[in-house]
Amino acid sequence: MNDTILEVTGLHKSFGAIQATNDLTFSVRRGNIHALIGPNGAGKTTVVNQLSGDMFSDSGTILFNGKDVTSLKGYRRAQLGIARSFQITHIFENLTVAENMALAICSHSGHNFRFWQNCLQTKIVKSELLPALGRVDLQDRAAIAARHLSHGEKRQLEVGMALTGKPELLILDEPMAGMGPGGTVELSKLIQRMKGKMTILLIEHDMDVVFSLADEVTVLVYGQNIASGTPNDIKKNEAVRAAYLGDED
Amino acid sequence: MEAKRLVPCPRLIPESLMTRRKQFVIGCGALLLALFPLIAQCAGEPYFISLFSRILIYALAAVSLDLLLGYSSMVSLGHAAFFGIGAYVVGILYFHGFEGEPLLSWPFLINGSDNALVVFPLAVLTASLAALIIGALSLRTTGMHFIMITLAFAQMLFYFFVSLEKYGGDDGLSLYSRNKLPGIDLTSDIQFYYFCLACLVSFLFFSHRLINSRFGLIIRGTGSNERRIKSLGLNAYKYKLVCFAIAGGGAGLAGALLANQTEYVSPGLMHWTISGELMVMVLLGGLGTLYGPVLGAFAFILLEHTLAMYTEHWMVYMGPLLVLAVIFAPKGLYGLLAGLRKDHE
Repeated sequence: MNDTILEVTGLHKSFGAIQATNDLTFSVRRGNIHALIGPNGAGKTTVVNQLSGDMFSDSGTILFNGKDVTSLKGYRRAQLGIARSFQITHIFENLTVAENMALAICSHSGHNFRFWQNCLQTKIVKSELLPALGRVDLQDRAAIAARHLSHGEKRQLEVGMALTGKPELLILDEPMAGMGPGGTVELSKLIQRMKGKMTILLIEHDMDVVFSLADEVTVLVYGQNIASGTPNDIKKNEAVRAAYLGDED
Repeated sequence: MEAKRLVPCPRLIPESLMTRRKQFVIGCGALLLALFPLIAQCAGEPYFISLFSRILIYALAAVSLDLLLGYSSMVSLGHAAFFGIGAYVVGILYFHGFEGEPLLSWPFLINGSDNALVVFPLAVLTASLAALIIGALSLRTTGMHFIMITLAFAQMLFYFFVSLEKYGGDDGLSLYSRNKLPGIDLTSDIQFYYFCLACLVSFLFFSHRLINSRFGLIIRGTGSNERRIKSLGLNAYKYKLVCFAIAGGGAGLAGALLANQTEYVSPGLMHWTISGELMVMVLLGGLGTLYGPVLGAFAFILLEHTLAMYTEHWMVYMGPLLVLAVIFAPKGLYGLLAGLRKDHE
């Protein structure tokens, strides 16, 4: 019980006639990098939305740390320690990098009805901002509006923001999407560094990344878990090969 | 942007906040407004002092609307409701004070008043409270629905006051003098002008602190990407509602000032065209610039004033000007003057 951080049972979600997740069951062990892979349209992002609370499930249960969070709203789940990044970068484009990070820091400490003091000058922000920016190598970009960052930097910022809350479970929804090879290496290193500090659920398309980082892999096809196991097991699994790996060059 | 890459040490405050040009524009504007009564007296046009007071009042309402439109992307088309409420608080309290008839005798006694120290805070509070109630319902919707529902609430209030026979209904309510403020004679146009200016400057200062505060950061975040705010574990609704109430309070203060300026209140103040005009002032002056709406109010009312001297159909000329302004100056007049580009804050 204690080493399972996330337990998903019988999760369903349909959009009209399409079953995005169909009786999905899997569990994530604490401290692992758990990869969730699957071909296009397998329902990966839907699963993330269901886990983070951006979308409610039609049926099934989600246990986080043994607590049923199935019907909790997204911001409540975030407070419990589930953080996510989005497949399509979600940052505050109009705010500066420092302000983005400051917002993330503020959201985890104390109340926010403070109307007077400049947020960037407050004690918590002052003490945490530079390390937080440093963690994702963005110190030099602090004063720039976030929309001027490169795609890779936006990703770094997003992951950095998710990290400020010291979440127990970090869900990364295709963090490598749209990145060049350099960025991929950079972000892989970042994920590697985070290992052990938190559990990571990694939704990813890039097989090299998955097999080099993950401790455990769950393969999703048509919203169902067709196989779970170590990367080596998954590589050997016939069903997975047929459904998925066979399609890769 | 390339130049910024070379910035050697991390700087946390955006450069644009510190630009000399911006400070220069704000400084010039402040100086001009502070000296204006003197200039008008020397030019022998004291009439303009009263006109400028009116502009300052509209500017205050427009700045409060900018908190919604420019910073938190809440497009409210019902801001005039709070403007009108502020004015009616002054009007109704004056009416009861004048008639010597209590406003409320049960469960506790409330008498009318023409003391500005009582009336103005009450106007702000009432408008904020109304905004809190209207906002609580309206903020359950977003986008187009939010625009329509705020408009609907404002129109409801408009018709409510039209039907209030006791307070003049359609014809409104005349005040026989302005409110009394110890130490300041509000009936003097010059002193009233400075009172309006002080209110505007205080509200600007407050808003400036607000948008850079922790609360303001969240509000701006909601305006930029509400979904992200939620995924940070923040309940966006709560913050938007408080911001809506603060903006309502600002408009209420402006309304109270306007009631004093014209010594008259009518349901017309709540009409949706006033909401529209405030919105035009914000857009014309510069959305999300705080100081821009002040410029916008000046441009709008002075243009209206000038054009109306030549034609009754001044809107025909105002319309195209607004279209041009929105296309060529995305950050409004303030953006042009202060040299803000579209891609900078």
